[in-house]
Amino acid sequence: MMELVSNLWSIPLIVIIPLITAVIVNAIYDKEVIKYISIASALITLGISIISPYGYHWFTGHPAFDPNTFTFTFDPGIPAFRLSLEFVYGPIQQIMIVISSLILVFCVILATVGLTKRQGPYMATIFLLFASAAIIIMVNDLYHLWIAVEIGSLIVVGVVVASGTSISHKAALKYAFFSAISGAGLAVALALLLGITGFANVSDIIRIMNTVGISGMEKILYISFGFFILAWMYAGGLAPIHPLKSEVYGASYPHATAVLQAQSKLMLVAIGIIMLRIFGTLPFIKEVMIFLSVITMILGVVLALIQIDFRWIIAYLIISHSGLVTLGIALGTKDGIIGGVFQAVNDIIYMSVLLFCCEALYYFGGATSTKNSFGIARKSPWLCAAVLLGAFAAAGMPPFNGFQSEIILIQASLNSGLPEIAVIILMVSITTLIALLRAIYRIFLKPPEVEVLEAKIPKAINFGIWLFIILTIIIGVYPDIALRFIIPAVEGGFLP
Amino acid sequence: MIEVTIQLLGFIAAALLIVIGIAGMVFLDNMIKKIIAFTLLSDGVNLLLVAIGYIEGGVVPILLPGMSITEFTMRAALVFPIGIVLTNIVIGVSTTAILVALVIMLYRRYGTLKASVILKGERR
Repeated sequence: MMELVSNLWSIPLIVIIPLITAVIVNAIYDKEVIKYISIASALITLGISIISPYGYHWFTGHPAFDPNTFTFTFDPGIPAFRLSLEFVYGPIQQIMIVISSLILVFCVILATVGLTKRQGPYMATIFLLFASAAIIIMVNDLYHLWIAVEIGSLIVVGVVVASGTSISHKAALKYAFFSAISGAGLAVALALLLGITGFANVSDIIRIMNTVGISGMEKILYISFGFFILAWMYAGGLAPIHPLKSEVYGASYPHATAVLQAQSKLMLVAIGIIMLRIFGTLPFIKEVMIFLSVITMILGVVLALIQIDFRWIIAYLIISHSGLVTLGIALGTKDGIIGGVFQAVNDIIYMSVLLFCCEALYYFGGATSTKNSFGIARKSPWLCAAVLLGAFAAAGMPPFNGFQSEIILIQASLNSGLPEIAVIILMVSITTLIALLRAIYRIFLKPPEVEVLEAKIPKAINFGIWLFIILTIIIGVYPDIALRFIIPAVEGGFLP
Repeated sequence: MIEVTIQLLGFIAAALLIVIGIAGMVFLDNMIKKIIAFTLLSDGVNLLLVAIGYIEGGVVPILLPGMSITEFTMRAALVFPIGIVLTNIVIGVSTTAILVALVIMLYRRYGTLKASVILKGERR
């Protein structure tokens, strides 16, 4: 059993440093120093998440006050004074926050060396996005989960609007309206669970349900589950609301999309595991989650096939691969959850490779459409090699990381008696490769129909692309590097 | 026979507000009306939370002189739902502000508040 620290120092820092940075860069919105503050802040956050031990932190909460002994107690039989709003930092939180912090570092660097001058408010939204994602993955109470989801959704709107096009404004508006509904739904779910158990803390809710039993609570639990599903769909862009999220991904700058997709994966894992913990014993819950996951996988990859822009192909593939993450969690088995969380980590990494490659294409005059061929491989063979490697990783080919997580998911599906889902996972992998290779051939390899300008890609983009490619290969060859965080957490019940 | 209590009436009113709010947001075409529907939805959630925290014959959750701890724990209204309501009010105001800002931007571009016109014929 892992040793846990109470009131862990690092948990507030992981949240507060990005928040303070957001306030500062917003206040000095047009100063050059924003660049250095942002990069330093992102690096500090990364460092803290690496060196931090595991443990808990109480926020505006405390153990129950026992009126008989005048002492604090963890006895769930005393409901009224136990708020129990807590954050947990364990192995799963560590690996996901470290990877997200790494993406934050490169996102911040790319935002400062980008094609247009980006001011403080844009940088502030990037940091707030990271903060909301970190809260969501660490939280162990529904109150903070709800707040983080609400804040995260508003920040997503801000990031999309910052792209400044007509499409981005429309995408932001649609996303804002739906997030208003799903956020309110999550608040209703919180209210209902608070009403029937007296607690907002997830562990306490489960303890009450196990102690008192769920007889008579089923209807309320199913209604709460419905609202949770709504929030889950919205968080990851699961079917049938995948068009909203894909528009958000496609309408943002690629480096911002890298952080957005990382936030989505963290939300999917956190909300999915919380749903499994609270509602997992009810009939038909897992079936509903599996159904949504499979539909999302299929719809996402099919829609990726018919897109004519590399950005939108990646956007729909992110949606499709979100289905792989949720599928693992929805299976509810040990292997399934390990595969789902591992897939989330891998997905964040290889999608970042593709998104950074897409960002590099902007330096060739925005040559992301597959309607014309640009022959970019002649001008930048290394970029072509990088995007091909990213595509192989996304398609789950060995020796890349995608292969390792998908093979676990396939095994988990077979062990759960669902061979048809294993076949669907394989089909999604193959279709992913086809969708990406089609676009790569048109943009990079086919003799040019449209001449593009010579471009000097910033070193930061090249460094980011190759760093993440190396990560995909290292994790692909040595999966234990990631699995040694995930397996003990799942086996020891040390989940968010 | 179900006893009609203040709490039950609160639940019914909250459910009505939530349903009307969601229906308005989904079916109304005018953006401003959609935003008004969102405020109804948000108010419905607040009312639901207040109703959950309500205790018949309860007292404010402050330990007053002369009150025993046991009596206090039995009669004090739940404070947590009220805290959530305060948070929801802040979130509601923020969301409304962002929605209004987006609608203003799109109105300047398209000259209409109709969602069916603004969101029609998107080109990538």
